[in-house]
Amino acid sequence: MNRFELIESLVPVLEDTLVVCNIGIPSQELFAICDRENHFYMLGSMGLCSSIGLGLALTTNKSVVALEGDGAVLMNLGTLATIGNRAPDNLVLLVIDNGSYGSTGDQATYTSEATSLAVMARGGGCSNVIECSGETTAGVLADALSAKQASVIVSKVIPGNRPLPVVPIHPIVLRERFKKVI
Amino acid sequence: MANQSISSQLVDKLKSAGVNFFVSVPCKLLAGQIRLLEEDTDVCYLPVTREEEGFGICAGASLGGYMPCILMQDSGLGNSVNALKSLVQFFQLPVVMLMSYRGSPGEPVPAQVPMGLLAPELLRLMQIPILHCHQTMDLDNIAPLIEHARVAESPVAIFIDFQLMEGDA
Ligand SMILES: [Mg+2]
Repeated sequence: MNRFELIESLVPVLEDTLVVCNIGIPSQELFAICDRENHFYMLGSMGLCSSIGLGLALTTNKSVVALEGDGAVLMNLGTLATIGNRAPDNLVLLVIDNGSYGSTGDQATYTSEATSLAVMARGGGCSNVIECSGETTAGVLADALSAKQASVIVSKVIPGNRPLPVVPIHPIVLRERFKKVI
Repeated sequence: MANQSISSQLVDKLKSAGVNFFVSVPCKLLAGQIRLLEEDTDVCYLPVTREEEGFGICAGASLGGYMPCILMQDSGLGNSVNALKSLVQFFQLPVVMLMSYRGSPGEPVPAQVPMGLLAPELLRLMQIPILHCHQTMDLDNIAPLIEHARVAESPVAIFIDFQLMEGDA
């Protein structure tokens, strides 16, 4: 299973949540599979998806899913300590771990070698850390959302990207339609 | 008010202007405010590990309907340019930056000076409004600046310098 197939399997589970989606191809794939007002496509600010998700989860009662990538978390490792200590119950950090910088030409990340984001998340203080296969992730996410406790899910998939255009929504339109469903 | 510490006045001015969400990257000049925020049950406060992360969290809080503030050194601006440009300013989110004006007169650490000299220029280049608080009366301009952040849908920067914080009890 690759990221596109994983996102397809997640879409039904994400319906009643607020989704903050990682920059680049992950956002393009989510947009192509299913565009909804509860999706915040990052458009810029590489590495900050988990941080935006944390700030949002601290200021709303709705469930927030930060749809992150392995390369992005590696750029902002401090987020695992902040989330490990301050995440509210309504935050799920879902790291799509394909061991690859997918949006920039599939250069390998260190998670394809010795690095484990699940171990790093636990070391950062995160208590509910689940590493799972892409195939089982939708069920794991549904369980994490109904358990209503802060969770980190590291979903292992293979690299691969759909050739898709940039998300064609103006940032202010995106901001306003997202704020309306918060 | 006369007996109130500068830190306490600063936090009160921010809160009464509607700021209700704070993150911080530490600085000696910000230590008083951080201590107050740690104990403050009216607002959400959390320390962050780096300025860029803080801007991400503030952006999320702004989407959530809060008025966020990041406490940081001006030297942290260099770590934050992309987060400000491609997130906070791109989505036009009001965020208050309460910045210690390190590298300005009174600075004991030479290595702080280069970023201190650059920070106001960089903010102007980035089109971020600046309020420089040099004496206590300057704090009265905080509320109008924060209202301006709302109207302009823009980040705004407040510099607090060594002379202002010298009087902090
Ligand atoms: Mg990846």
